[in-house]
Amino acid sequence: MMKKGARRLTVDALFAAVALTIFVIELYIPSVGIPGVKLGLANIVTVTAAFLIGPWDAGAILLCRIVLGGIFSGQVMALWYSLAGGTLCWLTMLPLRRILTKKQIWVMSVIGAVAHNVGQILVALAVTRTAAILYYLPVLMVSGVLAGLFTGIAAQLAVNRLDGKIGRK
Amino acid sequence: MVKTKTWVFLIAGFLLVFLAAGAILCTRPAPGTVANIYRDGVVVRSVDLSLVTEPYEFTLTDARGSNVVRVEPGRIAVIGADCPDKVCVEAGWRSDSASPIVCLPHRLVIRIERDAAVGSADVPDTVSR
Repeated sequence: MMKKGARRLTVDALFAAVALTIFVIELYIPSVGIPGVKLGLANIVTVTAAFLIGPWDAGAILLCRIVLGGIFSGQVMALWYSLAGGTLCWLTMLPLRRILTKKQIWVMSVIGAVAHNVGQILVALAVTRTAAILYYLPVLMVSGVLAGLFTGIAAQLAVNRLDGKIGRK
Repeated sequence: MVKTKTWVFLIAGFLLVFLAAGAILCTRPAPGTVANIYRDGVVVRSVDLSLVTEPYEFTLTDARGSNVVRVEPGRIAVIGADCPDKVCVEAGWRSDSASPIVCLPHRLVIRIERDAAVGSADVPDTVSR
């Protein structure tokens, strides 16, 4: 029987590895439709982890994925956008984790994706110091809801299949 | 527990609000014909598109990288950039839309406005050449 701490570290590391793999693969999928908009497939792992293991572990997994993802993709500036987006996304997960049922997991993903995009636009505003950036707000809100729905349904399927098999015992 | 139906309504409402906002912003006409090019929130160059007769290109370069801007009679676009995402190039042409062209990696924003920026150091194209 593995020690509790070792088990937790192993599970978190496994989730971080899966998230990073998904993130790197998504880098090679060309953006279709609106420039700069992507699905954010790694969000599936964050939401799944938040439900199966807990929000703190999900936060650690998210941070690992963002920092390593920034290094792997070689875009230093993108790291700041991801950190701001990731932080806001994670903050919405803390209360949502408590009030959502197992059939409402997709809601966390939708709200998380929207919060993530709000964080990104805030950094963009700070960086360019131009209010014109807000023209992208509706695009990012709508795409956030749609991408969040997609990743949320995927996360909900994952959580309901993995429940009891992985995560905190 | 909040009912699933309530979540669906909340999210659908949110979606509709921003769809409407997007539609309004997209169809909003530009207030004028002057393309102001901002770097770090400061206008670095202004071009009155209504005075352009011959198409021309120029390159905006700084430590972060460069963008190639093409100006044609009545319209402007970024046609090349050495940033990784090329969002500004994909944004295409702007002629009478209030929506900006943005290059986040190089902190560059192009907007079509009413007046050339006042007090900017370099305004070479307010008079057509």
